[in-house]
Amino acid sequence: MDLPADPPVLTFEDGIPGLRDLTRWTIVDLTEGGEYQLLTAIDDADVSLVVASPWLFFPDYAPDIPNVDIEALEIGDPADAVVFCAVNLPDGQDVPTMNLLGPFVVNAHTRLGRQVILDDPSHGVRTPLPDGD
Amino acid sequence: MLVLTRRAGESIVIGDDVTVTVLEMRGDQIRIGIDAPRHIKVNRQEVVEQVEQTNAEAAQSAARARTFLQQRRTQQAGGPQPVRPTDDRPHRPAR
Repeated sequence: MDLPADPPVLTFEDGIPGLRDLTRWTIVDLTEGGEYQLLTAIDDADVSLVVASPWLFFPDYAPDIPNVDIEALEIGDPADAVVFCAVNLPDGQDVPTMNLLGPFVVNAHTRLGRQVILDDPSHGVRTPLPDGD
Repeated sequence: MLVLTRRAGESIVIGDDVTVTVLEMRGDQIRIGIDAPRHIKVNRQEVVEQVEQTNAEAAQSAARARTFLQQRRTQQAGGPQPVRPTDDRPHRPAR
């Protein structure tokens, strides 16, 4: 299930951890092939996160989204859930990492989303992206 | 901070609908059961802090990551690609 075209407004009612005040976000493609997107806060355009579908890099990724989040987002059908994860590349590092512990989950119909925190320590917050995608 | 002493099997009640029960003590670990409405998120504090910190890093490094990833994609595609109009590229964030 894809989100509709044209930069959609995503609403994260609780903000995201560390950025609780920012509840409205847009998402646009960052690369030609659509591998990466830029998630930008509408109310503070200086705040952006690079995000991508985790399955592009980790095909076996199987996040167990807590029921509390599925219910809050009113996701009735798993196909209605759009999932993406933040990509991190701090200064001094040359291998991007992905936060697999805190995936963003968005209801494709309502565009309501939240950053979910998985209850599974095997998912790292800084998992190196495999070489060459 | 309110401090209460509880034995295994005893609980405390927070508000009208949150109950925290001490289930078991084993060495320096304590098993705790939490009964709360579904809209209340319950997470380990250090995990929340990890995600907060990672988000802050990702926000700080977004400009660098953006340049890095765009260059890498261009290199993998075998050089600069002609720029297509954006309106024929529907947004496809997942799967």
